[in-house]
Amino acid sequence: MKTLLKAENLIKTYGEGKSKTTALDNVSLNVAKGEFLAIIGASGSGKSTLMNILGCLDKPTSGKYFFEDRLVLGLSADSLAKIRNQKIGFIFQSFNLLARTTALKNVELPLLYGNVSGKDMRTKAESLLAKVGLASKLNSRPSQLSGGEQQRVAIARALVNDPSVIFADEPTGNLDSKTSFEIMKLFTRLNSEGRTVVMITHEMDVARFASRIIRIHDGKIIEDKKNKSVRSFNEKRKS
Amino acid sequence: MNPVELFEISIEAIRTNKLRSVLTALGVIIGVASIILLISISAGLQGFISSQFEKLGANSLFIIPGKLEGSFGGPPRTVNKLTFNLVERLEREKSSAIVDVSPFIEIAVTARYKNESKVTSLDGVKESYFVYSGIKAEKGRVFREGENEVARRVAVVGTTLARDLYKADNPIDKTISISNKSFVVIGVLEPQGNVGGVDIDNLVLIPLNSARKLTGTDQVNSVLVRTTSTDTIPQAKEQVDKILRRTLGEDDYTILSQEQLLSSILQILGVLTAALGGIAAISLVVGGIGISNIMLVSVTERTREIGLRKAVGATNKAILSQFLTESVILSLGGGIVGVFVGYVGSLALSNFLETTVPVWAVLLGLGFSTLVGVVFGTFPAIRASRLEPIEALRHE
Repeated sequence: MKTLLKAENLIKTYGEGKSKTTALDNVSLNVAKGEFLAIIGASGSGKSTLMNILGCLDKPTSGKYFFEDRLVLGLSADSLAKIRNQKIGFIFQSFNLLARTTALKNVELPLLYGNVSGKDMRTKAESLLAKVGLASKLNSRPSQLSGGEQQRVAIARALVNDPSVIFADEPTGNLDSKTSFEIMKLFTRLNSEGRTVVMITHEMDVARFASRIIRIHDGKIIEDKKNKSVRSFNEKRKS
Repeated sequence: MNPVELFEISIEAIRTNKLRSVLTALGVIIGVASIILLISISAGLQGFISSQFEKLGANSLFIIPGKLEGSFGGPPRTVNKLTFNLVERLEREKSSAIVDVSPFIEIAVTARYKNESKVTSLDGVKESYFVYSGIKAEKGRVFREGENEVARRVAVVGTTLARDLYKADNPIDKTISISNKSFVVIGVLEPQGNVGGVDIDNLVLIPLNSARKLTGTDQVNSVLVRTTSTDTIPQAKEQVDKILRRTLGEDDYTILSQEQLLSSILQILGVLTAALGGIAAISLVVGGIGISNIMLVSVTERTREIGLRKAVGATNKAILSQFLTESVILSLGGGIVGVFVGYVGSLALSNFLETTVPVWAVLLGLGFSTLVGVVFGTFPAIRASRLEPIEALRHE
């Protein structure tokens, strides 16, 4: 399969001298198009740093990172913003919705920074909210939605630019197990439709939905394997 | 991002904190309102003064004794060397540019009628004074040049003086005693009000030659020279200057044109307005600091929002525009309200004094408030635009 993301010997350090800490220590990995990858690790293991670099939010101290064969290192802040806008969808643990505006406007947000007309924005946002099952909540504000619904708004927002890859940072961290299951079901469905998903989690339970699991510890990849027993929805229903 | 979306986002953010936004804009509202109010008073005053000068007649020169230093050096304190002799020479030698030469004798007198008395000003004038000033008699008539030539003891009085001295009586053909000499009142003037600092309604006017006899001096207090038009003023001035210079020194007289006087007064008024406007502008600057302050708070509060916007693809420029638009809307909004408040204030004041709100003052107010928004919004907006997306997203 075609390689989408390619990282070579990524090193990320913070601080100087004695207070210098290494968040990523010589990390290399490839992500192919259509993969559902879970990066699992304890807090402080460097998994968020890795995701930030893969998501073009941050740059490594050294090493090379290619996004769709483009070397990210030399790109300007504006070019990175453009990649994030058109190629990447982000989903956060705390949803990060704008509280003062509606679900629809929240989903439209990434389109504001692209070249999309107002009418197209609305059509796209509406169809995606319908896809995540929120067709009836277009004009609800985040405070009027449950946690699961808020995360589904965030997922719709991540999909609105039709990105090459979705990065999800602990997407179920703020949700109960039933709602988490619903959200993971949505991710699985998106992946089965061909969408590349990179998810960060510290829960094995959640990671087991992915087709490939990378375990990271102290800034190093200690395990990278295919998930032979991808969790199915039938199994969950039984339990 | 297109301007409409930018505007919508900013309005939304401002509406989220209604009270705070209103309080922030208040500084600009007060600043712009006071600038508008000050300009409206000053412009009203300028209009008033100009119209007063027009009453005096624009095509005239005023000769006064002594040297007037600068524009307004106070009254000259030299010996009066303006004499009837000189006036006669001016009349003899005047060119076609000069229509009339009218000397004035001006003294303070006590006017009496029966038991009533009043301290007032007496002006000795020629008939031409009435012709050119357009001042007419309300009752009776004004005196004629023939009466001046023979120095008849006739007088024309202002309405206030007539009322004060004669009460209910008709003053016409009554006597008025001035410096123990009797004059016959032949006319009462139409109400004029205050013209060029002289309350005409309180004057006694007698023929110039009668006044000359009364005072027993050969001096005149001032000479009014009428020209054919405002265009011939420079020419007439030059000629008058030439004639006077033959016998008088440079320091013995000053020739003022109405225009000159008017422009001097308006200039002073302009400086005064600018100074007061400057003080009002300080409040606008204080308002701007308020906006800057609140925008900084807003940037801190919305750090996560900024992080999110950047994560989904907002460039630094987009974030900068967003926050700058917000501060300009706050400031310009305050400016618009301020113009309105200032206008209403000037309408209220117009009951007491003349006010006008010129269009340029409105534009100035709006322009200044926009400028304040841009200047004081730039720093917070730059700060917002430079936030690192990950740091901003991590912000609690």
